[in-house]
This record gives sequence, structure tokens and C-alpha cells, in this order.
Amino acid sequence: MKKAIIFDAGTIINFSINGLLDLLKKLKGIFNGEFLITEDVRYEVVKRPLKVKKFELSALRVNQLIKEGTLKLPSSVNIKDSEIEKRTKELLNVSNRMFSARNHYLHLIDKGEASCLALSEILTRKGVNNVISVDERTLRMLCENPENLRKLMETKLHAKIEAKKQNYGEFDKFRIIRSSELVYIAHKNKLVELGNGMLLDALLYAIKYKGCSISREEIEEMKRL
Amino acid sequence: MSKEELNEKENILRILKEVKHAVKREDVVRLKQLSNQTIHTASIEQDADSITVAVIVYSLSKIIERKKYTNYVEWPSFYKSYVNNINKAITSLEKDDVEGFRNNIDKIRKDINNLSGRFKKYIQDVFRKAEINKASRLYEHGISMELTAGLLGITIWELAEYAGQTGISDVNLTITMPIEKRLKTAEDIFK
Repeated sequence: MKKAIIFDAGTIINFSINGLLDLLKKLKGIFNGEFLITEDVRYEVVKRPLKVKKFELSALRVNQLIKEGTLKLPSSVNIKDSEIEKRTKELLNVSNRMFSARNHYLHLIDKGEASCLALSEILTRKGVNNVISVDERTLRMLCENPENLRKLMETKLHAKIEAKKQNYGEFDKFRIIRSSELVYIAHKNKLVELGNGMLLDALLYAIKYKGCSISREEIEEMKRL
Repeated sequence: MSKEELNEKENILRILKEVKHAVKREDVVRLKQLSNQTIHTASIEQDADSITVAVIVYSLSKIIERKKYTNYVEWPSFYKSYVNNINKAITSLEKDDVEGFRNNIDKIRKDINNLSGRFKKYIQDVFRKAEINKASRLYEHGISMELTAGLLGITIWELAEYAGQTGISDVNLTITMPIEKRLKTAEDIFK
């Protein structure tokens, strides 16, 4: 394996809610590498929704993607879950002690999200070129601009947020994409069979409204490219 | 009780006392504001009590807002018990009886299980939607989607659907990389 895309739960959920799981299969078809999810993410996209009637069918569909190999677990590419688990705990420890307010550490992220970072680190160490697909905002901001995250939280919480800025560097090595970039690539490669000039606009707004953290401004810019 | 726990207790007590007055006036707007104030605290301290109170208060605002509930036979006793339990929770907190406070708040949820038919479904739905609404607020405050869903006992699936319809992602601070650069990252990995 030379390349991999690691999927956080949000991206898979977004594709599923929008009826685009087939598109994920088509994207895999043009990708010369693996689509990976961690055990913690599998819990969020398969095991947990299987217990909720509303999402049971969606969970089965995602599980089918795993069964047929579109999505793979790290163990199937010889990465031990225990290795991911250990690093996940360490990363959670750092991320959830980065900001504090009123003498409380602010817990920012949880296991699934941190496990994606852990897997990315392990893959990079093994020489596998990888990116993480994350739709939610907090993890992306933590990696790409933690200072903006601090400012955002300060505004929203109306409280002074102290930061351990020396830890910012712990997360800046991760490369992040979102559902929006994936549907852009699918559109560019004509993987979506809906011949209409509005298609890219429709795809981008659909994924925005199902949880992808992309602004209208970014969508409009993307359409102009 | 630690200093933090004491502050937390004082905050919940203040909120619940204001809730009591807002209920008397059937002031739905104030109840929603009070629920949001609890979410500020919950975002920082991520304590179960603040989160539960936020859900209970928001649900109460919705129940008062929708007058159709008053037509149900079970309405008077349910509503009376709801408000009584809030009052008892206040009394417990005033006596530093945290367990008593939690028991009274729990009773509100347990009362729902004793309802029947369509009224039970309506009220359960109000509470579920309140949980998703409060989760969306926590996410808006900067807590990640997975952590937020976990704190409110909902799934990321429910939160993703709701959060996508808010303006959370249109805040300028959240744009952390030029779109061309991110697209290049995506295109490069597909080459």
C-alpha cells in the first residue's frame, strides 16, 4: 500500500445520508490505494446506528462497503489495533489538555477522531502517503489553525480560553480533506451520472447541509475553479 | 464539594430559580435563553448535570409553547409533576443535596415512561429533539461532533443532519486553508 485515505465517521455518514455511498465505491475505483476506517469509526458508522431503527439500514449499507473491501480496517493492512489505540490515548491526552477555561481543561475531541490521527501517524511512519477525510470542524481547526479554534471558543463561551501553545505543533502535520473535495473530484472525473450544469452546486450544497463544514463562500469559489 | 463543583451547583441553582419564575409567566423565550446559558457552562465543564438541565429546560419551553398538549387527559398531572420536580430539585440543591437534586431531575424523565399513547410519543419526541438541539449548540461552541454526540447520548448521524442546517460552517474563523490548496491536497492523493 502506497496511499490511503482515512475516513472519519462524518464523511461516511454524509455520503450515506445523501445516498452517495455508490459514489464512494466509484472514487475507490479511481484511487490507487486504500480507503481505511478505524475500529472506533466503525463503531460510529456501523455498530452504533445498527441499534437505532432510523439508521439501521444505513448502517447495513456501510457494513456492506466494509464486507466488499471498499472500506478496509487497519488490521487488514497489517496495522495492529493496539498500536492505534495506544497512540489514540496519547493524542487525546494532548488535545484535551490544550485549552482551558475557568480552571477546566476543555475536552475537544473523542476517540473516533483521535484514532484517525493515530492511524495517519502510523501510516506516515510506514511511508504510506495519506490524508484524513474529516467533515466536522473542530478536528480540522485543531490541526490547521488551533489559534482560530481558541478564538472561536472564546467568543462562543464568553470566557477567557488559555492555550498550551507549545502543543499546537503536535497536530500540524496532518493533512485534511472533506466530503466537499471528494465530490469535487468525483464530479471532475464524471463519476456522477446526472447530466446537468447544476450538478456540482447540488453536490456541494447537499454535503454542506448534512454536516460538512464548508462555507457558502468556499463552495462558490470551488465552483469557479 | 470542590470549588468547581460549588460554582457549578450555584449556577444550576440560579438557572432553576429563574426557570421557576419563567414558568409562572409562561415565558418561553426566557426559558430558551436559560437553557442556552446552561450550555455555556456545559461546554466548559462538560458535566452531565448542566447538560441534563439544559435539555429539561429547553423541553419545558417547547411543551409550554405548543398549546395542543394541554388537550391531553394526562397533561395536567404530567405538567404539575414536571414543575414540582424542578421545585424539589431547587430545594435539594439549596441543602447541598446533590443526590436529591439528581433524583428529582431523573423523575421528570421517568414520568415520561408512565405516559401513554400519542401524548407519550409527543413528549418523547420533544425530549429527543431537545437533545439534538443542545448537541448542536455544544458543537457550535467548538466541541467536536463525536464528543458532543457522546455527551448528549445521541448518534453522530442525528447531529450531522441537524448541524448541517445551522450556520456553524459559515463562520469565517472556521476557514483554515485556501480552497485551492485543499483541493490540491485531494487531487494529489488521487494522482
